[in-house]
Amino acid sequence: MSELVNILIIEPSYLVREGLKTLLTQTGLAFRVEETAVINGSFQKLVEKHQPRLVFINTLLLHSHWHGNRNKAPFQKLQIIGLTWSDVPEGVLSHCDFVLDITSSKAILMHHFVHFITKLGLINDEKGSESISERESDVLRLVALGYTNNEISERLFISVHTVMTHRKNITRKLGIKTVAGLTVYSILNKLVESGELKGRASASIE
Amino acid sequence: MLIHQDMKMADVVHLNHHLLHVINRFGIQLGYGEKTVSQLCATHKVPLPFFLEIVNTFHDPSYFPLESLLQFKASRLIEYLQQTHSYYLEFRIPEIENYIQRLNNDSSFDEAIKVLLLDFFGQYSHELTVHINKEEQRVYPYVLALEQFLESERSDQEQLELLKAYSIHEYEEDHENVEDKLFDLKNIIIKYIPSPKDSRLLNLILHEIFELEKDLNNHQHIEDLILVPIVEKMEIELRKSTKRTK
Repeated sequence: MSELVNILIIEPSYLVREGLKTLLTQTGLAFRVEETAVINGSFQKLVEKHQPRLVFINTLLLHSHWHGNRNKAPFQKLQIIGLTWSDVPEGVLSHCDFVLDITSSKAILMHHFVHFITKLGLINDEKGSESISERESDVLRLVALGYTNNEISERLFISVHTVMTHRKNITRKLGIKTVAGLTVYSILNKLVESGELKGRASASIE
Repeated sequence: MLIHQDMKMADVVHLNHHLLHVINRFGIQLGYGEKTVSQLCATHKVPLPFFLEIVNTFHDPSYFPLESLLQFKASRLIEYLQQTHSYYLEFRIPEIENYIQRLNNDSSFDEAIKVLLLDFFGQYSHELTVHINKEEQRVYPYVLALEQFLESERSDQEQLELLKAYSIHEYEEDHENVEDKLFDLKNIIIKYIPSPKDSRLLNLILHEIFELEKDLNNHQHIEDLILVPIVEKMEIELRKSTKRTK
């Protein structure tokens, strides 16, 4: 997981704040939240203090507390999501990156959440399902046979660093971490014959 | 919802049935009747705060044990940890092995794959046994000796030197991850085994592995968050007492 994302919630309603946090948790985002029901002092001070990447703010509060420039610090690097019940107060729209109607259904709210979280690159939507490449399966075969990283690098004419990168990717794609597990996978997928293993048995014991 | 002393033990189980084994480890067996947590703890001479902390740590992985847990005696904690060890080795592991063996009755299953699974699980249970033995034969005796020494007159110089030679941090570094193989086994069964005619037995095996994994995670959690800090506290005390005698 990447590092925690700072989120600031400024919303008078306790229920809305709790609901937001629940939905955020369900997106799978790793975050740290600061929340407040009111703005004591200025919005800018709050932002400077907590340095959030995402701000959820009640649009009425935003309307009465907005003094600043979206293109200047501390506002240019964060996303402001306005929370509204019904009508958005005049002039507030231009300060928000997004306006969320809190009366929407769960499906719609989740859809928006996932949208702006992925847009910000806060969750990497890497394709976990991709299968292993031909080169990776060469490496995997040798790992299963009990060769060390050094031996694999010599045999395949690649650097040890490259071998390690391949191994990392293999583990990520297959969800198998140990040499013994990779060996079982290789036998099941006919990358190696169990007969081949016998000769190298001693090498596979780390 | 956290588990508290005035809940009926039966309701605790209704709330989270995974706790059954944990409750057993305190010597509290089924047939709770209408008794509450605090009543049953009293009957079985289990310190209530200790029971609550352990059960809640298991119930909610994000629950962080209270400062007060550091007041508990290491020997009591070790007693609990030993109970979980014997639960793994005497019950859970043989049970999973048993299930894997039962695959033999399914003739639609390739013989080689049965052997592969059994072998792999055999390797895992060997590693787990080695790990547990190391804890029971080296780490726990050290912790118990440390506790005993601090409770004694602290005059045995020889014992003092012996204790100073070891630190719980060596053990932390030693705490190798025995869970990787279990993790692999899950994916091998979920993703890579050729689909059998009937998955029910494999489902059962997977279910057992998930349960074991959850239990092991909690076990490690308790060691890292409770046992290690308690021992650290004792080690600091030991160093202080060394200065006093010099």
